[in-house]
Amino acid sequence: MPVDIYWRIHMEGDQSSLRRRVRSRGGFAPGGTAPGTRDGRDDGYTHADYMAEVARAAEESGFVGGLLPNFPHTDDPWAAAATLARETTSYRFMVAFQPGFLHPVQAARMTATLQRATGGRVVYNVISGGGGPAQLWWGDKVDHDERYARTSEFLDVLKGVWAGDLTHHGRFYRTEHAGLPAELAGQPFPEIFFSGSSPAAIAAAGRHADYYLSWLEPYEALAEKFAAVRAHSDTPPRFAVRVDLLARESEEEAWEEIAHGWRARAADPERARQVGAGQGGAGQGGAGQGDSVGVRRSRSFLAEAGDDHRALEVAPNVWGGFNALRDGPAFGLVGDYHQVAERLDQLLDLGVDALILAGIPHLEEARRVGRHVLPLLKGRTS
Amino acid sequence: MTCFHVILPTRSPARAELPAFVTDVRPAPTDPAGRIAVAADLAGLAGALVPFDPGGQESLTVAANVLRRTRHLRVVAEFHAAVATPVYAAKVSASLQRFTAGRLGWRLAVDLDPAVARAQGDFLTGADRYARAEEFLTVAKGVWRGSFDFHGDFYEVVEGGFGLPLSAPPFPEVQLSGTSPEALALSRRHADVHVFAEGDDLDALVPELPGLRYGVQLSSLDHADAYAGRGVTEFFLQTEDVYRLGEHMKERALAG
Repeated sequence: MPVDIYWRIHMEGDQSSLRRRVRSRGGFAPGGTAPGTRDGRDDGYTHADYMAEVARAAEESGFVGGLLPNFPHTDDPWAAAATLARETTSYRFMVAFQPGFLHPVQAARMTATLQRATGGRVVYNVISGGGGPAQLWWGDKVDHDERYARTSEFLDVLKGVWAGDLTHHGRFYRTEHAGLPAELAGQPFPEIFFSGSSPAAIAAAGRHADYYLSWLEPYEALAEKFAAVRAHSDTPPRFAVRVDLLARESEEEAWEEIAHGWRARAADPERARQVGAGQGGAGQGGAGQGDSVGVRRSRSFLAEAGDDHRALEVAPNVWGGFNALRDGPAFGLVGDYHQVAERLDQLLDLGVDALILAGIPHLEEARRVGRHVLPLLKGRTS
Repeated sequence: MTCFHVILPTRSPARAELPAFVTDVRPAPTDPAGRIAVAADLAGLAGALVPFDPGGQESLTVAANVLRRTRHLRVVAEFHAAVATPVYAAKVSASLQRFTAGRLGWRLAVDLDPAVARAQGDFLTGADRYARAEEFLTVAKGVWRGSFDFHGDFYEVVEGGFGLPLSAPPFPEVQLSGTSPEALALSRRHADVHVFAEGDDLDALVPELPGLRYGVQLSSLDHADAYAGRGVTEFFLQTEDVYRLGEHMKERALAG
């Protein structure tokens, strides 16, 4: 079966490298650079112009599309997808959203409108939310234990509206004769990427997910997680992993790039302290689980690492310090092009069917990875 | 200043039937609103409205595309309060404002036909609809301005509020309509523009809405000068003949 490889879009503004943790591209950093600011003034370009270029670079480089994550401090993925829909040709927009934010009838209408505009290129990354204070930032009152029940009902209603004439009286939603008008009916329903580690999440994933999405963790931990999903699902979903890459011509060059960022981090004790303490939901990258094994592991690793960035290399080329150099999850791959390709092949061997890759800066690294890493992939050996 | 806004189509028009012997390579029309919006922008019109149309495409999604395709046009998306939480509606809109130099507006549809509302998953009726709209706009504006907490009958936000750069652009211009006491009270609190329907008694209603701008939705510009004389500055028209509107009709209408 073919493997779908996506490329993340930074929704929080892009860094120009991992050497300096400043989101200078896209208007997120005061005194940032172009695009957005030139000679201290607004240059007429917006973050959307830059994201459009990342999307085009991704589709030209061999990626089927991109994950558009969503956090309180980022631009919004529905807004971005609807803005960029007609500026790409094959790019699939994987829109991250939480069921609590939109009514399922509205989600169906927005999706079908986007499907019309793109010829069916919408993909969902459904996130059930972290619960607690972070959810109330969004104005979402539903308790932790009810989130997956709501997600399930949300997707049931959404699919029912999509099929047409849904009358539904549920716990969270009611509709009467809800459906899509002729203008919007008959579009393909998006594939669903689903995240979450708790038993409730896995049960809901079993019912609704096309792909169970995890961010990268040490490979044994990933294998255990996938086994748990398989064990608890009548029809197991496919698996997808979100992986940051730093790949260079030589291994030394790749680690030197990491070392630069690590030294800059050490020079900024305030930043280092914040990272060591974890950053809460806002900094946790595309998969969005607040209760992730990966977060807990990365915190303890970081606390012990001190000045030695290589201490975070938990397995060859698997490095757990990315969250010290940029917002997002801890683990990613560092190495030369062949090493990184080999590690990606090993993920496919774990049963992974889709990859969501990312590198900083997203624009240049999309082209680099497309040119130098993707051609080296061999695929599943077992 | 008088401003003309075109009401954009949300349904694809049927195409003309070409004779069978004519080679027909026309692409499928997927963007009726985008084409008319570009025409309106080129013709120098001030704005466009994407109506809430249960039988058509979704207005915020259409508005995002229309904003991206145009340079100057102010684009108002009409939606109702049950579509999303006010925080999320504001968050989506903050990005659209950032992408388009603040050209997005909101028109909140409060008085929906009850059957239409139920089909949208919204079972709230009567004066409660205005109470909810009031909270919706209060919360959306509140989180936009920064640090914000709210405990209302419909919404709750704890330690909310946007940071920079999401809070930097202006909040979308708010358009409201209706002639009931609840509608007028809501407009007094939250509207930038109150939009009348053709035939509304403006002489009685305008004094109830001090300090706002006034709009009217018309089927033609034949009586535009009469409305202009009563203080209306925003004219909303449904037309596919956008260039003619831009080049000829607005001058004629203004000549009074």
